[in-house]
Parts: sequence; C-alpha cells; structure tokens
Amino acid sequence: MVICIIALVVFSIMGIFSAHWRELAKEAFDCTFRTLTFRPCRTNLQDRIKMKVTSKLAGRFPSLARAFYKHFKIFSWIFVIIFFGSMIYTAYTVYNLVVYGTCDPSSSTCTIKQTAQLLGCELETLFIYITIAVLSILLVYLVYKYLKIK
Amino acid sequence: MDAKKIREDFPVLQQKIKGKQLIYFDNACMSLRPKQVIAAMNEYYEQYPACAGRSIHTLSQKVDEEYRKAREVVAKFIGAKPEEIIFTRNTTEGINLVAHSLELKEGDAVVTSDIEHNSNLLPWQMLFKRGVEHRIVFSKDMQFDEGNFRNAMGDSVKLVSFVHTSNLSGYTFPAEKIAKIAHDNGSLVMFDCAQSVPHKQIDVHKLGADFIAFSGHKMLGPSGMGVLYGKKDLLEELNPFLLGGDTVANSTYETHELLKPPEKFEAGLQNYAGAIGLAAAVKYLEKVGMNDIEKHEEKLNEIITYGIAGINGLKIIGPQPAKLRGGIISFNIEGLNPHDIAMMLDSTAGIAIRSGAHCVHSWFNANNMPRGSARASLYLYNTEEEAKIFIGKLREICNTLR
Repeated sequence: MVICIIALVVFSIMGIFSAHWRELAKEAFDCTFRTLTFRPCRTNLQDRIKMKVTSKLAGRFPSLARAFYKHFKIFSWIFVIIFFGSMIYTAYTVYNLVVYGTCDPSSSTCTIKQTAQLLGCELETLFIYITIAVLSILLVYLVYKYLKIK
Repeated sequence: MDAKKIREDFPVLQQKIKGKQLIYFDNACMSLRPKQVIAAMNEYYEQYPACAGRSIHTLSQKVDEEYRKAREVVAKFIGAKPEEIIFTRNTTEGINLVAHSLELKEGDAVVTSDIEHNSNLLPWQMLFKRGVEHRIVFSKDMQFDEGNFRNAMGDSVKLVSFVHTSNLSGYTFPAEKIAKIAHDNGSLVMFDCAQSVPHKQIDVHKLGADFIAFSGHKMLGPSGMGVLYGKKDLLEELNPFLLGGDTVANSTYETHELLKPPEKFEAGLQNYAGAIGLAAAVKYLEKVGMNDIEKHEEKLNEIITYGIAGINGLKIIGPQPAKLRGGIISFNIEGLNPHDIAMMLDSTAGIAIRSGAHCVHSWFNANNMPRGSARASLYLYNTEEEAKIFIGKLREICNTLR
C-alpha cells in the first residue's frame, strides 16, 4: 500500500526519538519494499493507519470519516502525490537557495531570505544556526534518554 | 449477583484507557483478575517463594501445603479427586499431554468437531503422520449433529476429543450425550473446557468425560496456568510425555521409578504462584456462584443480541437464540472488516473486543470467511450499561462507516 511510503519516512524520523516508532518504521519499510516489488504487504500497518485516522475523524466529522474509510486508497494516493510534490518543491527551493541565494529566483518573495535579513545575518549563517539548533536539541534529547535508561 | 459491586474487586476496571472507561468484552481470550487473586500470588512471592515437594524447610513446607490445597480446591470445583488434577500451563498443554501420552498407533482414529480451536486440532493433525486418522464431525446449523457423530464412530475410534463450549460461537455441545455414545463405542472422551469451566457449573462425572482440559487465565486466574483432569485409573496407565524433576521416586543410571499421578505428569519446578492464584480465582467464582454467572452472561447476551439484531447486514455466527451462545456474540457486518469494527470500538469508545479467526482458522477457511469475525465475550463483571453502550457504539460505527 502506497501510504506505507509516507509512513516509512515519517516513522523513520520519529524513530530517532523512540523505539516504538522504530518498530513501526521497520514495518513500514517491509511494506514499502513489498509494495515496490508488487507484492501485498504482510503487515496490517495500512489498516491501522486507516482506522486510526478514521476513528479520529469519526467523532467530529462523521461524513469525512466515512469518505476516508471508503476511499482510503484514493486518499492514500493523494497523500503520496502531495508528499512527493512537496519533497520535489523543497529540493527545488534548497537548490535555488544554494545556487541563487533566494527560494524563488523569478520573484523577490523568499521567506527564508527575509528571515535571515530580519535577523541581520547571511543566509548561510542562518542555515548553520538552524542546523546547530536542531543538532543541539537532538543531542540533549539523546543524553536525557541515555541518563533515564541508566 | 451484583456486577457493579464485583467490579470493585478488579483494579483494571477502575482505570481509564485512552481517557475512556474500559469496557472489556474480550473475556473468551483472557479474563481480568480480581485483587484477591493478585494478592494470593503476591503473598507467595513475598512470604514463601520456595519450591514444593523437594526441600524440608519451613518455607518449602508452606508451599507444599498451599500447592496441595490449590489442587484440592480445583478438584472440588469440577467434582474430581485431587489426584486427578494435573497442573499444566494451559488447555493446549493439557490436550497435547493426552495426545502424546495415549500412544495412539497406526489405524487408530480420533474424532473431533468441525469447530475446534487449533489446540484441539493441530495435535491430531500431527498424529496423522503416525498413521492416526482424524475424523471431523460436521455440525448442522452450527449445532451438534448426532447422526453425523454416530456415523463417524467405529471400532478404530480410540478417542473423541470435542470442544465443550465453542470459543467461536459460544455453543455448548451436549457433552453427556457425546460421552455416552463414545463410551458405548469403547472410545475415550476428552472435552476442551476452556470456555465452559469459567462460565458454568461443571461436574466431570455428570459430563462423563475421561479427560477435560481448561485454562486459568480465562477464569480470573493467572496466565500460564491450566488444568488437565483425567480419571485416576487412566492417568495411572498413561506415560508422561515430559519427564524430569519431581516425577520420579527414584532413579539409577539405567532406570527410574515414576511417582503416582498427578506428580508423574508435573515435571520440573511448577508454577506455584499460578496454582495458588488459580485456587484463589476458583474460590472467588464459587463465592459469586457459577449458576448466577451463567445466568448473568445469558442475560447480557440477550440484551446485546436483541440490540444489534436491527443492524443492517449483521450476521451472528452460531445458533441464533442468545440462550444457546452463553456469553459469546460472534458476528460479521456486511461491508465492514471485523478488524475495523474492533479498532473503531477500541479507539472511539474504549470497548475491547476480539477480531479475526479466534484460533478457529479451519472453520473460517472452510466457510470462505478469511477475515474471521468480530467477537464480544462477556463475564461476571460486565454490566447491562456496558452492553447498551456497546450496542449504541456499534450502531454508530455502522452508520459512520457505511
């Protein structure tokens, strides 16, 4: 099932923080691999995702829940297309930033560039700050987990 | 019987699961435990966590005494003698013990129903390799068919091994009739009582069974604890299929002298806490009253059966009258996957039911129902309010998803 492809990426990232997500990422990997080799998934991960979302929707939006439940395959394809679309667009944006110094060379609006200007630093410096911040948070989290386990 | 008062004894029912009050309808799989059972087991671990039948110190003597008492309590519960009670891990082990110890040979036959749990199917399929024939008696409208059963009998039938109460449909087979026909044929009789002993008064002599097997975890007892009852003279004849510590009176490098039953079947260090916990569970059930429990479940089943009858496309597996299905409601709803029903009930209302093949894959495969069914199974702590919530939520789910 195609939804497993998104699950693989999402759960892999979340797997950095918890073994629970790592297990799900493994399941998603297995499912993705089988989907790409035209074989049915061995796990019921897609069903669980389907029911998790359906049950969340059921309380507030019963009609949407029904539509999601009945047309899960269509929704899955939509999500996958949006997912890959945004991935490609992100890659294009990053490329523009690196090569031209702006997200969109054809127009002057670039939020990232404007943010860098607002902070009074270069675009490269902003990237370095963001990377350091993300890595620091990750390091603090891992140290916390390590100490907790100990 | 006051189910609301009984609920106070079950710590798990006092807590909320995902913010919702737990409604536990998966009792055919695993029952919940009252604090009395937990306390009895904790007492063993905290005060006398020694082994029985070996050492002579005070703690060991205490374990000896409690273990013996546990056997007596369980024996009395089913109308047996203590030496006829073998403690096992579960029903499956009990059935396997008989399957391996009976020493069936080529040309012998074993008869089962068509709605057996894998525990009472696979052991006989394995014996097929030894040349033991496995005959299946097909039910009629999911109820016992005497004609089919009589046709299956014959000189080669050495054992009739039937489920007593089906974990799939809740239907209880007429054990007395089955035992009588089987005995007239010269066959031994075993019943898988995993779903009957916890829910109704069982007397092994009234059943006419030579062997019965049941599990502790389905009757408020601990998991990993089961019982095999066998008639004393039969147990004396049988050879154990597990041998080791505490099964022998003496041994040399070449030979050994087996102890009498039940010890000769209980190899190795036993689950003492489990046995003590099981005895506490039995006492609890006796205190409530087995007949009251049976009536209570039937009443709840009637409420649910009546309540869900109007759901479009809903089909109950098994006999249609609730009275014939004890505390089990196995069903399918057209257009809905049973797993989806179970997941929706769990996540939207905190209702725990089971979905799938319920270890009766053979029946579902034969009936072309690969997804199995949804199953709600009741017990003494379930209430009418819970039954009504279940009905309401099931209707709501059907309206939402279809």
